[in-house]
Amino acid sequence: MTRYILKRILSGIFTIWVTTVAVTLLIHLVPGDPVQIMFAQSQSTTPEQIEQIRSQLGLDRPIYEQYFMYMGRILQGDFGTTIRGNQPVLELLLVRLPNTLMLALSALAITMVVGVTAGFFAAYKRGTWFDTALMTGAIVGISIPSFWLGLMLMYVFSIRLGWLPVAGTDFKNLILPAVTLGLANAASVSRLTRSSMLDVLSQDYMRTARAKGLAETLVLSRHALRNGLINVVNMLGLQFTYMMGGAIVVENVFAWNGIGRLAIQSIFQRDYPTIQGFILIFATVVVVVSIILDLLYAWIDPRITYS
Amino acid sequence: MTQPVTAVSESSLLAAKVKDFGQFLQRLLRSPSAKIGASICLVLVVTAIFAPVIAPHDPTELGVGPILQPPNWDYWFGTDEFGRDLFSRIVYGSRLTLYVGLIAVGISMTVGVLVGLVAGYIGGWVETALMRAVDVLFSFTETLIALAAVAVLGPSLTNAMIAVGISSIPFYARITYGAVLVEKNKEYFKAAQAVGAQHVRLLFRHILPNILSPIIVVATVGVSVAVLSASALSFLGLGAQPPSPEWGAMLAAGRDYFKRAPWITTFPGLAIAITVLGFNLLGDALREALDPQQRT
Repeated sequence: MTRYILKRILSGIFTIWVTTVAVTLLIHLVPGDPVQIMFAQSQSTTPEQIEQIRSQLGLDRPIYEQYFMYMGRILQGDFGTTIRGNQPVLELLLVRLPNTLMLALSALAITMVVGVTAGFFAAYKRGTWFDTALMTGAIVGISIPSFWLGLMLMYVFSIRLGWLPVAGTDFKNLILPAVTLGLANAASVSRLTRSSMLDVLSQDYMRTARAKGLAETLVLSRHALRNGLINVVNMLGLQFTYMMGGAIVVENVFAWNGIGRLAIQSIFQRDYPTIQGFILIFATVVVVVSIILDLLYAWIDPRITYS
Repeated sequence: MTQPVTAVSESSLLAAKVKDFGQFLQRLLRSPSAKIGASICLVLVVTAIFAPVIAPHDPTELGVGPILQPPNWDYWFGTDEFGRDLFSRIVYGSRLTLYVGLIAVGISMTVGVLVGLVAGYIGGWVETALMRAVDVLFSFTETLIALAAVAVLGPSLTNAMIAVGISSIPFYARITYGAVLVEKNKEYFKAAQAVGAQHVRLLFRHILPNILSPIIVVATVGVSVAVLSASALSFLGLGAQPPSPEWGAMLAAGRDYFKRAPWITTFPGLAIAITVLGFNLLGDALREALDPQQRT
């Protein structure tokens, strides 16, 4: 177990390190002069100012030196400043990060509850109209773009019925984005749960449990669900990654003030320090949370070993 | 003596392959998912090819009708804020959708399959380096990779296609890599190696044809993923730009008139969902027909 934890943490550190290299290289992959592109929208920038920014970003130095400079600054918590407004990037990201996490985690809860329940009952009622209906709903659900689902939910619940607000950042505003993101992923989780439950339901211990006369509810809750849930916990890490990715789009549908929305704005403004900071923070959060969830899985299921 | 034996075994092998394909086709044709999925894909292809014949108006022509008209007999899907015919725009948009789906899948499949083939075949440090890189890419979401690529290349439909293509490379690399490892241990491969077949021949004549099935399944579902991702990028303003009749971009433009004219956002969204559903159903059916044991 200690070996597994160590290996998992080391692989996470490696991923974050690769991200820092990629983020440093990112600005060099931009076709043309990145500084000119960044300031193309503001007419008033003088050539002297552009040179000053170039030297501030370290772009006039060899690339390995730029990497060490960037890493040195990052480790001190200095992610640079935004191109327009000169605001500290890290501060901007950290203010918005809790909003994104709140959205991703609420959506994850919805995905798991809806997806696992649907998948469980579809497997239990395998081959019936109920199973067919649920799985048809799942494949249709997988095919619906989250941004469209969000807009349709907004149209019905905010514009037509007036039950929920269109945009904002308090709890009531969280409902629609979380439901949108949660439902969009619940469809694929229900399919995964169904196939994993089908596997559990056909195991010998299920037959034994029934043969010894246990009530069906006990067979399902103690034996089927408990074993099936191990696979569900296994999905959590990957699903969280999907939620974070999906949040970027959904935040922009509902004007939810998270890091995804900030990222899109900074891509429009070609604000590379913010884009770099976003990628780094996003990757770190995804890696750290995935490790925690994987460790949780290893703790729940002691059979797991790192191979 | 060797010649006739080879001829006999080759002809019986061919007969077995034809029989296998026949059984696969039978299984596929029995599946309702395949029928619905293939029909949707066929309609999309026909619409894309015959767009100028099907569409009653030019997709970018302004003022072909009154602005913000709800669906009616003259304008089946209504008109937008510039009086453009939405039906014509959706019909022409199918071309872009198909184009984006195929190009993006082409990019990810070519690079991903090559990476998987090389890593699985060569082994050693090349395998470790390539598959570790794939693992790292896998730990991020496709959305993040696509966003980073668009951030570098700049917003446009072509760049969105490239970005979506890059973001799916890890999927193809992993599936190919896994399949190569299995094939490498099979008798036919060892026999080909023993008779001194060249590396390129071993890879492309022996391994590749035998691992095509899972790749085709991933590619079919991959088209739906690519269509979803590219339309999401266009919706965010990072892909196709106005006045392009790209469905995601049309949806984004319709947001400003959401209360007054919900049909501007409804129809492009439906078009994306139906297209993605078609490829998903076809992909599912192909997977089941190719590997009936996996059927649940």
